[in-house]
Amino acid sequence: MRTRREIRARKALWDRIAYHGIGIGTAFFFLAPFAVSFLASFRPNSESGRPPLPPWPISGMSFDAYRALDSFGAGIWQHMFNSLLVSIGTVFLTVAVSVLAGYGFSRYRFPFKNALFVLIIATLMIPFQSILTPLFIILARLGLNNSLVGLMLVYVTLQLPFSVFMMRNAFDAVPKEIEEAARIDGARDLKLLVRVLLPLVMPGIATVSIFAFLNAWNEFFAALVLLSSNDNYTLPVLMTAVRAGRLGAINWGAVQAGVAVMVVPCLFVFLLLQRYYMRGLMAGAVK
Amino acid sequence: MTTSALTSAIRRRRPKRQTGWRGLIYIAPAMALVTLFFVLPVLFTLWMSLHKWPLLGEPAWIGLRNYTRMFTDARFFNALGFTAHYTLIVTMAIFAVAFPLAIFVEKQRPLVSLYRTIVFLPVVVGLASASLLWVWLANVDSGLFAPLFDVLGLTSGRINLLAKFDTAFLTIIVMVVWKIAGFTMIILLTGLQAIPAELTEAARIDGAGRWQRFRHLTLPLMRRTMALALILSVTGSILAFDQFYIMTSGGPQNKMISVVYYIFNQSFVSFNLGYGAALSIALLLILVTLSVVQLWLLKVGDERP
Amino acid sequence: MFKKLMAATALISASMISAASAETISMWVRSGIGDSFKEVVKAYNAGHEHKVELTEVPFAELVQKYATAIAGGQAPDALSLDLIYTPAFAAAGQLEDLTDWAKALPYFNSLSPSHVKLGTYEDKIYGLPLTVETSIFAWNKDLYKKAGLDPEKAPKTWEEITANAEKIRALGGDTYGFYFSGGGCGGCMIFTFTPLTWGAGADILSADGKTATLDTPQMRKAVDIYRNMVEKDLVPAGAASDNGVNFLSFTNGKIGQQSLGAFAIGTLVTQHPEIDFGVTLIPGVDGKPSSFAGGDNFVVTKGTPKLEEVKEFLEYTYSPEGQKIMAKFGSLPTRGDIANEVLEGLDPRLKVGMEAIAVAQTPYTLQFNDLINSANGPWATFTNAAIYGDDVDGAFSNAQDEMQSIIDAGQ
Repeated sequence: MRTRREIRARKALWDRIAYHGIGIGTAFFFLAPFAVSFLASFRPNSESGRPPLPPWPISGMSFDAYRALDSFGAGIWQHMFNSLLVSIGTVFLTVAVSVLAGYGFSRYRFPFKNALFVLIIATLMIPFQSILTPLFIILARLGLNNSLVGLMLVYVTLQLPFSVFMMRNAFDAVPKEIEEAARIDGARDLKLLVRVLLPLVMPGIATVSIFAFLNAWNEFFAALVLLSSNDNYTLPVLMTAVRAGRLGAINWGAVQAGVAVMVVPCLFVFLLLQRYYMRGLMAGAVK
Repeated sequence: MTTSALTSAIRRRRPKRQTGWRGLIYIAPAMALVTLFFVLPVLFTLWMSLHKWPLLGEPAWIGLRNYTRMFTDARFFNALGFTAHYTLIVTMAIFAVAFPLAIFVEKQRPLVSLYRTIVFLPVVVGLASASLLWVWLANVDSGLFAPLFDVLGLTSGRINLLAKFDTAFLTIIVMVVWKIAGFTMIILLTGLQAIPAELTEAARIDGAGRWQRFRHLTLPLMRRTMALALILSVTGSILAFDQFYIMTSGGPQNKMISVVYYIFNQSFVSFNLGYGAALSIALLLILVTLSVVQLWLLKVGDERP
Repeated sequence: MFKKLMAATALISASMISAASAETISMWVRSGIGDSFKEVVKAYNAGHEHKVELTEVPFAELVQKYATAIAGGQAPDALSLDLIYTPAFAAAGQLEDLTDWAKALPYFNSLSPSHVKLGTYEDKIYGLPLTVETSIFAWNKDLYKKAGLDPEKAPKTWEEITANAEKIRALGGDTYGFYFSGGGCGGCMIFTFTPLTWGAGADILSADGKTATLDTPQMRKAVDIYRNMVEKDLVPAGAASDNGVNFLSFTNGKIGQQSLGAFAIGTLVTQHPEIDFGVTLIPGVDGKPSSFAGGDNFVVTKGTPKLEEVKEFLEYTYSPEGQKIMAKFGSLPTRGDIANEVLEGLDPRLKVGMEAIAVAQTPYTLQFNDLINSANGPWATFTNAAIYGDDVDGAFSNAQDEMQSIIDAGQ
């Protein structure tokens, strides 16, 4: 006869096996598409049209797919540079604008405060695809059409509702006493904001930054419509050309390489700053 | 200086710095951007919706005719119907996967944060990249699924998944679940973790079974979170475009035209900008209505804690 | 970024010194136009004062982007526009009237007639031929040999093509007898499939473009021919969802026969020398051949300040030198009068592409995009539904109704 302890130990063991079994199965489902595509992108030209069974290169690793990708548009480095420029520019502008606005909304009282806050949040509700034509015309009037700066400004606007919301909450969480003390020490306005408060809301800034970066890096539709010369295309727009094929034949190797180039930075940034990303999500969910 | 003197000094100063226009300076850059790139374009869209506005050539005022046209536009109703269908199915699918996952990753156990991270990975990838990746996987000649099913003997010969509506739709649902489930999982997880452990413990001691605890304790307490996850999923699904555009070009036989896709087609393919603008306004109204429902749902959650 | 700034400053200072200095013409072409035009531009830029700056726009987005750019006042000086769109753009008043200049060209009468017809709106000329494409039928000689067919004998009827396809499919594996982009690619199908009915005297639109005439016995027969081949598994499964990205599947060497564009001849010769192929005209359902005259028109954005420079460039394109470069890189000559001279020493199969011009048709409608080319338009939907769907009658009546309603809405 087994003792009670033995039974419990056995149960715990089975429990663990079941738990990790499910865990590994789930992880496989969510990881496999990335892994297959990533491995397949290193197959030589002669294999790139074949099904990925197995996904890894059979006849030696090769950068054919990346070379093929490089032959589209103005070369992959140029487009990566464009994407990076837009994304990083979006991050800095978004942080600057939303820190100021978050501080204003958190600490000051002024006419129409609530209405203006709701207006900023309301941006979320409009599918911006539907206002793209007017956007294009406005940018053209400003001399910012077909420019990465113009695209950046649009992205910053798209980021504002979330970012301003985040930053206002971040400032709300800073105890008033700290501010009062600094004020007595003679810190005023911008100096107070930059010297004293900014370090305290750093986690909020990190959250805003990572969301801004990922959204700007991944955005496809606005870039497609607003950019009109090869040299300015960001990666997702370049990929429509790759997907459309050339001379009536699609190069799947280039597609896989393109997916890898677009996906890897996202995963990298996310894994590096995961804590802040999750914080942003949770904050959104709780509020 | 005594504490009371300090506080009174602050109190005296407070009205001076808290009211007035100074705060407006801080929010000015944000307001400028929102005005220029959001308010103006929306007003402009409204203005356009009252015109016959070809992309080329002169616009002409036609009053509300774009709006009345909508009611006799069979393709618009098809798009609405498909979007509703898609929203319903994909939301159920996402919940069916995300809820068990949230429960699965709730308790602190070895490797749990690794599993969480892996499930979440596809969320941070762009929908365009994800669609691109999956359109390759679903390709009949060079992709993964069809040859794999063939080799495994699940199908006889390679099946072109994207050629028939049912299989193409299924492929897209699986792709979206893969892409979004991690997001919904995290939202639900915050709800689960907010349930006090003592409550569950107390119910367990009272002899409530696992299912009973879930049904009578977890679910009611999760109401608010679920409403939020539901709304996010529904809003996102109603605005779906990239996956249909990149993966099936709206096919097979135009059965996958979502509302945003239809607006895109009217505005940027057929150049009926006026009509496209009117459709955008209609979509906007639908979303506003949904937001009102959202607020109501959240309120209902408050009333029954 | 820096380079661009420098270039901009340089440009500004240069224009201040002398207004007549070298200009840069901005021009858009659709991606996939092939190397021929790019090579002409390269040659032109190397030997001339003015320069042409090409921007490649994905072909599916070109029309949208151009129209949006006009709306924003940021259009390029010139554009290589799919000729079927020329009437619509001209009608909208966005293109420069080239009538007087064009008619003064000594070789005006030998320019591709379909292009000039489509480039003309209300008796004024807005577009002139840039690249000429015709649809032709190609077969893979190696596969013919393997299947025991005579590789030098061009098929003359669809019965023959079907029979040949069956023999090629019998080779097994992933070798197929026929291919077409059947996943709702309106442009591909109007190009390769309608010649079946044109040859037999039917059309999908009335001559004035105001009535949809889709449901004809000829079209029914054409649909049956394709359905039959699909049912017999002579066509790869991927064709059913190919929206045009794999239009040149023939180049993979495993497709026995396919209707292609003449431009593919150049592509095959230069990029796939391993494929031995023959070309002939596309037979109609009753055996009489036809073809689609496609390609691009050269159009100029209304009001461009660089009109003279643009004209100078176009004249170069039409010169024997320019035409020779185009032909060498796979585009058919746009000038009939020097076609023989230009094609001399090049692949003899290109001549079939030239012959096709004589029997070719192009529908003239202001709504080509909505009716035919749009991936979600009635024609694209029809071709997929009729050939792959279960309800052929429904496909016919739906498409007929929708086409007519689009035409009526545009009046």
